[in-house]
Amino acid sequence: MGMGVAIECDDVSLTYSAKSGAPVEALQRVSFRIHPRRVTAVIGPSGCGKSTLLQIVRGLLSPSAGRIRFIDAQSGGAAATKPRMATVWQNFNLFPWRTVVENVGFGLEVSGMQRSERVERSRRSLTQVDLAGFENKYPRQLSGGMRQRVGLARALVMEPEVLLLDEPFGALDAQTRLILQEQLARLVEKSGTTAVLVTHSIEEAILLADTILVMTARPGRIAAEIRVELPRPRSMTTTHLSGYSSLFDQIYGLLRDEVVKAMTIETESA
Amino acid sequence: MLDERPSMPVTVGPSTSGPLHNFVQKLGEPRVLGWIAVAFVLIMWEVIVVAAHLNPIYLPSPSQILVALVAMFKTGGLLGDLLATLGRIFGGFAIALVAGTLLGIWMATSQRVSAIADNFIAALYPLPKVTLIPLLIIWLGTGGPFMLTISALGAIFPIVINTVLGIRQCDPGLVLAARDLEASNRQVIRMVLLPSAIPSIFAGVRLGIGVSIILVVAAEMVVGKVGLGARLYLAGQILETEQVFAVLIVLAILGVAVTKAQDLIDDWLSQWRLS
Repeated sequence: MGMGVAIECDDVSLTYSAKSGAPVEALQRVSFRIHPRRVTAVIGPSGCGKSTLLQIVRGLLSPSAGRIRFIDAQSGGAAATKPRMATVWQNFNLFPWRTVVENVGFGLEVSGMQRSERVERSRRSLTQVDLAGFENKYPRQLSGGMRQRVGLARALVMEPEVLLLDEPFGALDAQTRLILQEQLARLVEKSGTTAVLVTHSIEEAILLADTILVMTARPGRIAAEIRVELPRPRSMTTTHLSGYSSLFDQIYGLLRDEVVKAMTIETESA
Repeated sequence: MLDERPSMPVTVGPSTSGPLHNFVQKLGEPRVLGWIAVAFVLIMWEVIVVAAHLNPIYLPSPSQILVALVAMFKTGGLLGDLLATLGRIFGGFAIALVAGTLLGIWMATSQRVSAIADNFIAALYPLPKVTLIPLLIIWLGTGGPFMLTISALGAIFPIVINTVLGIRQCDPGLVLAARDLEASNRQVIRMVLLPSAIPSIFAGVRLGIGVSIILVVAAEMVVGKVGLGARLYLAGQILETEQVFAVLIVLAILGVAVTKAQDLIDDWLSQWRLS
């Protein structure tokens, strides 16, 4: 295995037509690089297009202009193959008619894997997120935190080289979020996987990321790229470090004006 | 046994916990009461018919109807009629289910197909399907193809419309999740859109099978030589009123059985509910 694949977002713009027919500029010339084996967080006010950006990186949406490039970190040239990617969603997006183990095995089933091996791998993945014993439950029988761990297991079972996290803890209560954030921090530290985390929580971004991209209100642009040098493994105690609060203040300072701007946009369009 | 607590009210009179009391209480339960009402009506019916010496051509007694029903099954070939009718209803319904679901998927996933099919459905859906019987007889005759067509026509519209509705209501997040897991368009249809639409498709099935039953029996009454509708019509023609009632009973039981089967499927469908 080489040094991995970097993902380069090259002058990406996205314009779509609103219901009224007027064009809405969601993303404006966004450029950045996602480094292999690093966690990159994208933070910004709501409606700034950060989830859209994640779908463009995943290839689920096409940009109006610009492109996504995959670069072999070793040679610096275009990568021969796209890295395997899998997404964890804010609303979990579990299939309600499938049991937990069938949800986790969905991607394996799509790839044509035999049932016995599918179940075997799904079980292992569920153990990884502490959900052994819940294989035959339905999503509706689980709490929000457990549902999102199923979502995580469903992504991890694909052995992704790049894990895409779209506000993965946004729909959870505060305590559950803390615990899952720590678990996720440990998971990415241990596996060394490349991850992109979309979030609106500064705390979550600092806890998990090596690089934080701060986005502006719509149209979304990259306002700043901030390196997080805090030591790993990180946990809630990381928040007591002096470096943490200065980083927090720096990001909050950048975000504050953008959030106010975003609120104005929302008021105007409402 | 004496109650030592003076504050307890003491009931005087007949015992309130004896077997008779329990029996009376059981009679008052809604389910039991429902069956008692049925039994009461049947008994009153029998008594009135016998006491008033009513001509069985107008109103046979329940016991006469029962005798006729048993005789029709034993020697009258009613079982064959029942099976013929069932075959027509469910044969046509099966065609409608497959064709309707496929057309519904096609319409829901292609705006062009939807635009083409919409006007035809808008014209044909509200049309009472019995009005198509003369035309279909001209085209298809009165045999099996006609019966299956009329039955399928009854069921297909609610199935198509509900399939389209169910697929359009599918959570777009589920489609994104499937595509993220590398599902092809066909896999998205088979593994996400179709299963998510199943409760809605089944709502269409519920509506459709009722119309199929009505149409098949009506068609049999008009042109059938075998089948429950044909038997019903024939019995009426020759004033065998017991047989008319007997066929009605079979049709009523068929209706109850279909409803019960649908309730069972509804239970199974509950796994689709998210919360």
